[in-house]
Amino acid sequence: MSGYAELHCLSNFSFQRGASSAMELFGRAKQQGYKALAITDECTLAGIVRAWDAARKVELPLIVGSEMRVEDGPKLVLLVENPTGYQRLCGLITQARRRTEKGSYRVLREDFEQPMNGLLALWVADTTDDPAPGRWLREIFGERLWLAVHLHHGHDDRQRLQDLLALARELDIRPLACGDVHMHSRGRRALQDCMTAIRHHTTVAEAGHRLFANGERHLRAIEQLAALYPPALLEETTRIAARCHFELKRDINYQYPHEIVPQGYTAGAWLRDLCERGIPTRWPAGISDKNRQALEHELQLITDLEYESYFLTVHDIVRFAREQGILCQGRGSAANSVVCFVLGITELDPSQTSLLFERFLSRERKEPPDIDVDFEHDRREEVLQYVFRRYGRHRAALTAVVSTYHASGAIRDIGRVLGLPPDQLGALSDCCGRWSDRVPSPERLVEAGFDPDSPLLHRVLTLTGELMGFPRHLSQHPGGFVISEQPLDTLVPVENAAMQERTVIQWDKDDLDMMGLLKVDVLALGMLSALRRCFDLYEVHRGKRLSIAAIPADDRPTYDMISRADTIGVFQIESRAQMAMLPRLRPQKFYDLVIQVAIVRPGPIQGDMVHPYLRRRNNQEEVVYPSEKLKAVFERTLGVPLFQEQVMSLAIVAADFTPGEADELRRSMAAWKRHGGLEPHRIRLTEGMLRNGYDLAFAERIFEQIKGFGSYGFPESHAASFALLTYASCWLKCHEPAIFACALINSWPMGFYSPDQILQDARRHAIEIRPVDVRHSHWDCSLEPGQGGALALRIGLRQVRGFREEDARRLARVREVQAFRDVGDLCLRAGLDNRARDLLADAGALAALAGHRYQARWEVAAVQAQLPLFAGIEPTPEIAVALPAPSVGEDLFADYNSIGTTLGPHPLSLLRRRLTALGCRSSRALDDVAHGDSISVAGLVVGRQRPQTASGVTFVTLEDEFGMLNVVVWRDLAERQRRVLVGAQLMQVRGKLEFADGVRHLIARRLEDLSPLLSGLDVRSRDFH
Amino acid sequence: MLWACILLPQLALDSVLRRREDADQPLVLITGPANRRIVQAVNPPARALGLRAGQSLATAQALAGGFTTVEHDPAATECQQQLLAAWAYRFSSQVSLHYPRALLLEVESSLGLFGPWPRFEACLRKELKTLGFSHRIVLASNPVAARMLANAHDGLAASDAELTRAALAAMPIDRLGLPADAATAFSRMGLRHLHQVLTLPRETLGRRFPAQVQLHLDRLLGLRAMALDCYLPPDRFESRLELNFDVESSQALLFPLRRMIEDLAAFLAGRDAGVQRFDLFLEHAEGADTRLQVGLLAAERDAGRLLELARGRLEQLTLRAAVRNLRLSAEELPAFVPLAGELFSARAQQQQGWEQLRERLRARLGDDAVRTVGVVADHRPECAWRSADLPATCAPGPAPRPGWLLEAPRSLPLNGLRLLAGPERIESGWWDGGDVRRDYYLVETAAGQRGWAYRQLGESRDSPLWLQGWFA
Repeated sequence: MSGYAELHCLSNFSFQRGASSAMELFGRAKQQGYKALAITDECTLAGIVRAWDAARKVELPLIVGSEMRVEDGPKLVLLVENPTGYQRLCGLITQARRRTEKGSYRVLREDFEQPMNGLLALWVADTTDDPAPGRWLREIFGERLWLAVHLHHGHDDRQRLQDLLALARELDIRPLACGDVHMHSRGRRALQDCMTAIRHHTTVAEAGHRLFANGERHLRAIEQLAALYPPALLEETTRIAARCHFELKRDINYQYPHEIVPQGYTAGAWLRDLCERGIPTRWPAGISDKNRQALEHELQLITDLEYESYFLTVHDIVRFAREQGILCQGRGSAANSVVCFVLGITELDPSQTSLLFERFLSRERKEPPDIDVDFEHDRREEVLQYVFRRYGRHRAALTAVVSTYHASGAIRDIGRVLGLPPDQLGALSDCCGRWSDRVPSPERLVEAGFDPDSPLLHRVLTLTGELMGFPRHLSQHPGGFVISEQPLDTLVPVENAAMQERTVIQWDKDDLDMMGLLKVDVLALGMLSALRRCFDLYEVHRGKRLSIAAIPADDRPTYDMISRADTIGVFQIESRAQMAMLPRLRPQKFYDLVIQVAIVRPGPIQGDMVHPYLRRRNNQEEVVYPSEKLKAVFERTLGVPLFQEQVMSLAIVAADFTPGEADELRRSMAAWKRHGGLEPHRIRLTEGMLRNGYDLAFAERIFEQIKGFGSYGFPESHAASFALLTYASCWLKCHEPAIFACALINSWPMGFYSPDQILQDARRHAIEIRPVDVRHSHWDCSLEPGQGGALALRIGLRQVRGFREEDARRLARVREVQAFRDVGDLCLRAGLDNRARDLLADAGALAALAGHRYQARWEVAAVQAQLPLFAGIEPTPEIAVALPAPSVGEDLFADYNSIGTTLGPHPLSLLRRRLTALGCRSSRALDDVAHGDSISVAGLVVGRQRPQTASGVTFVTLEDEFGMLNVVVWRDLAERQRRVLVGAQLMQVRGKLEFADGVRHLIARRLEDLSPLLSGLDVRSRDFH
Repeated sequence: MLWACILLPQLALDSVLRRREDADQPLVLITGPANRRIVQAVNPPARALGLRAGQSLATAQALAGGFTTVEHDPAATECQQQLLAAWAYRFSSQVSLHYPRALLLEVESSLGLFGPWPRFEACLRKELKTLGFSHRIVLASNPVAARMLANAHDGLAASDAELTRAALAAMPIDRLGLPADAATAFSRMGLRHLHQVLTLPRETLGRRFPAQVQLHLDRLLGLRAMALDCYLPPDRFESRLELNFDVESSQALLFPLRRMIEDLAAFLAGRDAGVQRFDLFLEHAEGADTRLQVGLLAAERDAGRLLELARGRLEQLTLRAAVRNLRLSAEELPAFVPLAGELFSARAQQQQGWEQLRERLRARLGDDAVRTVGVVADHRPECAWRSADLPATCAPGPAPRPGWLLEAPRSLPLNGLRLLAGPERIESGWWDGGDVRRDYYLVETAAGQRGWAYRQLGESRDSPLWLQGWFA
């Protein structure tokens, strides 16, 4: 029997066409005894790294290729013979993709005018009647052209074969067999039909002849092929396979960019030089022996692994940001090193953490290190543009993100092509969580009114299960850059992003990791913007420049504040869940914050790890270590695994994993929900631990905890970098609350709380808030000298809903020249149009010039542009008109409508008498309530949250004039009173008050909608469903 | 003059509800694009469930279950308003649809006939209730005031300018139909009611507001008049013929019928219209009328052809009682597009056009008796055919298929059979439970007939074939 290599095969990276993953294809091809398998996705190499990985795993040669249709020309399959051919193919695809918008391509005849050496071509003839395209291809490819013979049990295969062979003879092209494979096995026929229907935006029933007539386009058994094709056509495929000796990883020639090293230096020497220069700024008193040792060790390791350029590249970007006054902070595996500290990439003194550099930059895995750098969110674009400028668009591009099907999207698409109506699609996709990768359970479906046993739903669910995890399209990574010395399109095809002026390579993060390409993450973080604004304000008002590093460490009042959960607005530990944890954990030092940041994660809660840590920390549980070796690993978290790094160390120490294997485990941990595949690790881990004398129960428990990390397991290195920002923001909130609140509002939108909530919090901390006023306000909120040396916060014009920044800037500019005389002077000099005037009047910003907001509105309406002719002539005075003054309630509504907050009484204080009559207590009056007492409260609903992890509980945050209260609504109550829960703006809750470790919850027993009391008030609840 | 405004606050909803028997069940009217469905109106039972206009459908579904959703159809609503205008035309010769969801009637001239006003109003309300439209009625001294007062009142009768002004003065400023930005501006100036505005010096308003605001206020107060478009009843054809004697045979109806149809043709010609469908009512001495519907595929106005069709229908009919009167009503009167005939085209007298033949057959045998064969894009042969009302639009598939498909496949013995081509494999149809997996062969019988036969995928080579069709 002749051998066979499949040379025309699509994976699921031919979106909405290929119905099998590369792994499935290679597994099947190996099992069928193929000699090699080509992956020829349509004008893309986005799936080729995955194919390469699959090929490596099953040990079957991969041939790199691509199928494409030439515009007004033939369809062909190109196969890569050697590295030159690969570069040509990347260039060709790049050209075709760059010509048109994201998601489509145009290959033109003229593209083939350049040399095509290194590429083999298979002509997929549309008809046997027209030899012209074949002649054209023959001229271009010469003896490197074959005629593809697809036989799929069509109408008359025998005739078709004869016709094709005749055509081949006529043109003197060798024919060969190939399968136009769209799936690994016949069983994917239904999914493939669905994908066709999705692609054509129709239903399967209406797709008609656009569906394939049968399921033959799979990897067929060689006996079947032998029955269809003459042996020569099969043998030809193996000859081609033998010719294609290109190996992806070995043969792509990636180099780090060179220009970051000045002439006369080697990269290593330059890196050392920069490090030495950084030492005095970090340690003015000189570097300690320990740090020097660490530095030398790190530099040696970097040199050995040839990663100098990587560190230099990151340093270069950070240097640019610093010069522009853009705050940034590195994090990630290699960021917490002495090298990064002295280079200024991170502000985190590595001696503050116990992280070992080598863990993340292991000699064994020759993988690029990973440093993510966060920049101020509103200035990141400047950094992106710098990178494009510095390396040129042909050498720098963003990495791709492969959007994959989650359950809800998959069920929607499958349901649609099976003809379900839109409202049912919505209901079905609601049955899946937002990011869930599991088909909804039958119970959930019954609840939503579906019959999971109906044949239609059965089909929907089965196909959804198959489609989940499939790639849907490529999108751009928000800030992951690939930079190379040689043009990028010789390494990987580049295409247009949805955003103008952005280009994206066809590979994602994992692909780059596997191929060893350098990636730098330029990310955005709102808190950095807020901190930079804090430092700016601090400099103005306190006469000194602060920095993250210069903030005093180990500040007692700061930790006391954190332990009180007085953390509205700070970084990371401001959420409801975090605030509930703080009084129990009571952080006392920096490392406690590192733990605090990591501990409230979906992962650890699922894995049942939070409580053991808390119990141990509060001496309610004995701290025990299974062995001395593991004590070293787990001591800093009291024996409880909290970080990915600990899991890796555990695998190394207790189960004899190599660092490389441990890293593999970490990757699988992150992906097991999507791809499964933890089983080999479980066996390996359990066996290793048993061998080292640990008992089975312990091993099993550890493994369950590892699974619990899921996709959320937090690396210690990230937690440490985050904790630094947490500490900095807490220190500022504690010592400079006015500066902090001001900077936070000016950086909005960011974080968890609205400006209204931040301002209320500030007022509760006795900070004077001054209203928006055209005589004093700038665009941003600003600080003014207040009573007793304190700073008062002046609300900025940015808070006036709908007011434009350029108007505000112009207003402030002309005010500098001369204060405004009256409303007319303001409107005319600041060039305000009617809309802007009205907004200022409604905001109450004209109070000083025109009186209350009704009068102000009356005044501004009368301002008319002065005609030059009458310049200097005072307009004739008008009859004075007395307008009614707004009531307190009217002012309140107007305040909320315009600036989203009020400096007058809180709405609930206006309603307090009525609420008291209804038996509601204020949040202040809860202090003398005992644990377990039944009470009734009322408040504005400012948050509703239903965490996926908390089995059907809804957390509602109520706000009144004194503060906030957390309400817990159990599932059955939520079901019974859904209308009130979802709809109420002002809610009355009766229930039982519970205290524990300084945390207070109200367990709801009955909800009441009091919203009619507030009609017209615009307080937006922030929902996080 | 006196004007009545009949405001129809839930016209769209009523248009739906009045046609439903289960109007007391929760029902919402929805609108908006498929990805953002909005509740437009709710009936009282739905309101009791907490559903409100303006909610997204998703919110509504989150709040309650068990309500019916009906797609809002603006055209149908418009139709209902036309119907109401026609109804109102009986009460006044000046009816205006100037404002959406409202009828304006000049009533002073009609008071002699229907008055006094309280009786007139009661009559209007009674009929509207019977028709199934909720409504508010206000009388005022000018149409604009009547319309705006209806925003806040029902049953108000401001029967002179003085009373009208007083009623207006108490109105909230945002209910007066002012331009939205002006209404907002007034309320942001603390001016909540019209009387507050009316006390302001006229020139201060002129300085602050565009002229149209003052114009609108003047119209409200009747200081300036507004030109209204008045409703005119639609064009339709209706003709009734009293026969004066009982006709017992349909043949005897042909003569009067011919007259009516000639009238219709004349009417159509005058309007340059054709008729797509008309109804013939045979009125009996007692009992309901017998109705004959005559429908055409294309608009037509030739009297001879129309009569031919009507006669076809009439001749099939067995009269259940004697006919007293004959009535013809035609409402679908689209513009007539004549067939582009060539100047000297010589259509032989005997030769009938296909359309005429088809219409004749339909007239004689009934609409359902004449069908067309449609091609459906489906790989499964048994699903690739369908009898259809309209000519099929889909092109047949690429592969040759037998012209004659058997009702059901039948087994075909292998002896004497030659397999000319195949197997052509068809695997399709899993989505509707009718999945087929077959290998098809082109076969030739000993008698030389060519057929199309299949075997289930996976069956052995000597198992019998199933014949599904013959090639011509």
